[in-house]
Amino acid sequence: MSMELKELTKALCALSGPTGFETPVYDFLSDYLKPVADEIRTDSMGNFIAVKRCGKPNARMMLLDAHMDEIGFIVTDIKNGFLCFENLGGVDQRMLPAREVKVLTDPPIFGVIDTLPPHVVPASEMGKAIDPKKLYIDVGMSQEEAEARVPIGTAAVYAAGCGELGSNMLCGKSLDDRACAAIIVKAFERLAGEDLQVDVCCQVSTQEEVGHRGAKVGAWTMDPDEAIAVDVTHAQTPDAKDVPVLCGRGAAIGIGPNMTPSITNRLFALGREKEIACQPDVSPRGNSGTNADVIQVTRGGVTTALVSLPLKYMHTPVEVVSCADMEACCELIAAYVEGMEV
Amino acid sequence: MMLDTLETLCCLSGVTGGEDEVRDYIMERVMPHADEIRTDPMGNLMVFKKGAVAPAQRVALCAHMDEVGLIITYITEDGYLRFDMAGGLDRRILLGKRVFIGPDRVPGVIGSKAVHLTTAEQRKVLPELKDMFIDIGAASREEAEQSIRPGMLASFDDAVVRFGSGYVKAKAIDDRTGCAVMVELLESDLPCDCWFIFTTQEEVGGRGASVAARNVEPDVTLILEGTTAADIAGVEGADRVCRLGQGVVIPYMDKSTIYDRELCATLGRLAEENGIPWQTKTRIAGGTDASAIQRSGTGVRVAALSVAVRNIHSPACVAKISECEDQCRLARLFLEEMAK
Repeated sequence: MSMELKELTKALCALSGPTGFETPVYDFLSDYLKPVADEIRTDSMGNFIAVKRCGKPNARMMLLDAHMDEIGFIVTDIKNGFLCFENLGGVDQRMLPAREVKVLTDPPIFGVIDTLPPHVVPASEMGKAIDPKKLYIDVGMSQEEAEARVPIGTAAVYAAGCGELGSNMLCGKSLDDRACAAIIVKAFERLAGEDLQVDVCCQVSTQEEVGHRGAKVGAWTMDPDEAIAVDVTHAQTPDAKDVPVLCGRGAAIGIGPNMTPSITNRLFALGREKEIACQPDVSPRGNSGTNADVIQVTRGGVTTALVSLPLKYMHTPVEVVSCADMEACCELIAAYVEGMEV
Repeated sequence: MMLDTLETLCCLSGVTGGEDEVRDYIMERVMPHADEIRTDPMGNLMVFKKGAVAPAQRVALCAHMDEVGLIITYITEDGYLRFDMAGGLDRRILLGKRVFIGPDRVPGVIGSKAVHLTTAEQRKVLPELKDMFIDIGAASREEAEQSIRPGMLASFDDAVVRFGSGYVKAKAIDDRTGCAVMVELLESDLPCDCWFIFTTQEEVGGRGASVAARNVEPDVTLILEGTTAADIAGVEGADRVCRLGQGVVIPYMDKSTIYDRELCATLGRLAEENGIPWQTKTRIAGGTDASAIQRSGTGVRVAALSVAVRNIHSPACVAKISECEDQCRLARLFLEEMAK
């Protein structure tokens, strides 16, 4: 059953899919796109790939990519019933004290990252981040119970879902990059019902948070002619006033060496023609820090663009995006593919 | 059921100075069972219930209705909220937390710039409280002002979760566990006459209790509390203060009160006679309404009976359910003793 973009995003964010443990997201996407895709495939990295063929001989292929993994944790040891853990991807340690997590056993169990009561903490310590080595997950179990229930190597995620904030924002964990996964899935759904000149591939890739590993393999396999990587980008916040991208100002289009100018320029032109809100997102380095890094240099090279969704508080359990920006990204991407020639 | 009452109470918002929601709920629950109900200008709720006997001494139980939280101080031009603490908090628990603001429970989150944008030095320290902010999804001050005013109180996310081997996670277990015990007792037949004092503003220094004690004038008061457990991984020996799973806590002293020795001994004896595990605190930490009550008027004999709470003063307080139930059992045994 088809879902609206906002509802699809909420459903995707509710799933647990930390880097390397993304299967629940794959399964959801597979069920969701089965009715409209010509092919659904996976690979050794666990990437989700849906393909819509246009039926024209020697058609070119457009790859849309977003990643399905989220940052999280992995259990490394158990001490007195408390779980020792390390991070999966870039976690801000300052988010962790008194934090609720979901430990991904089958069935999952609830845990809290404990912290000392303020009554016994010297005031001078309260301004300092807690050494991550002193943080443990409390699952309310003895050593024996915890050992029986939680195998070493079990992953965990923030126990937050995704809900609405204000009049038109979403807030929650893993909007990086499930919001963008929702965007390309909705674009693909729309494109699948149209008469196109190109084949379209919707790739929701794994292990982006540890270095774009899934997309590297997926792009090689699919061998696209053009690609649009869709990821989140930092939006301005009161404590990061120098960030030029703003939440609510539309799709952020990447400009820089990682993005091919012809496709980037076309996206800006489309934004003007169709009155889709767009803003520039300059990325001066060779790497944009997204899957576009690896896709652009796949095989003999891929004409690549980066469309980004402005997001506040990246890699926290309270990431914030604008629904209007999500709609703009989806509209822009679909419009671009619709306009592609043979 | 004690646990259901506790969970319901923890979900209510009662940040220090704004305890109305908690008081209204308790009042409605206990009204049919009370012989007398009073309130006062501090917002305290004082409930009298007759028991099987009228002891020579006036006996009171006391728990506080308020919880730690935040108070909105300013709305920025771009629609973010500045705040201060209402009650004592370690600001390290604030970043990335959800809050509900004001009577309409406007959802907000305490944002912080992405880790990618910080330097290694910045990641080692916490932002100053004055630099923290709440995002309610408003794009401007005008938009924020439609639902928010400075002075509004914000409470933490109120999801209650039962987990592990008999544990519960919620905000405000300190001190809704004491409130829940008193509600349960009020709904039952009592061994002796008793005043139940539900206080306000404990978290800013027993302000409600100092007034309530004058209004009730008890001879003996038992404080029912949630107290500081530091028994987290990596902490050993006395530094744990008290430990979940080791029984209800009967402190002999904390930062603001030396408790009545005879009452402490009585509580310990009653626990042992009735197979209720108990412990005392291994560090002098924290404080309760006892300090305000003990030194009120001509003086009041005080004792405390607490539940060990991990992550106290955070959205993720953790307590052992059986110990909340034992707190209720032992409080009743205490009243039976007072009836003698």
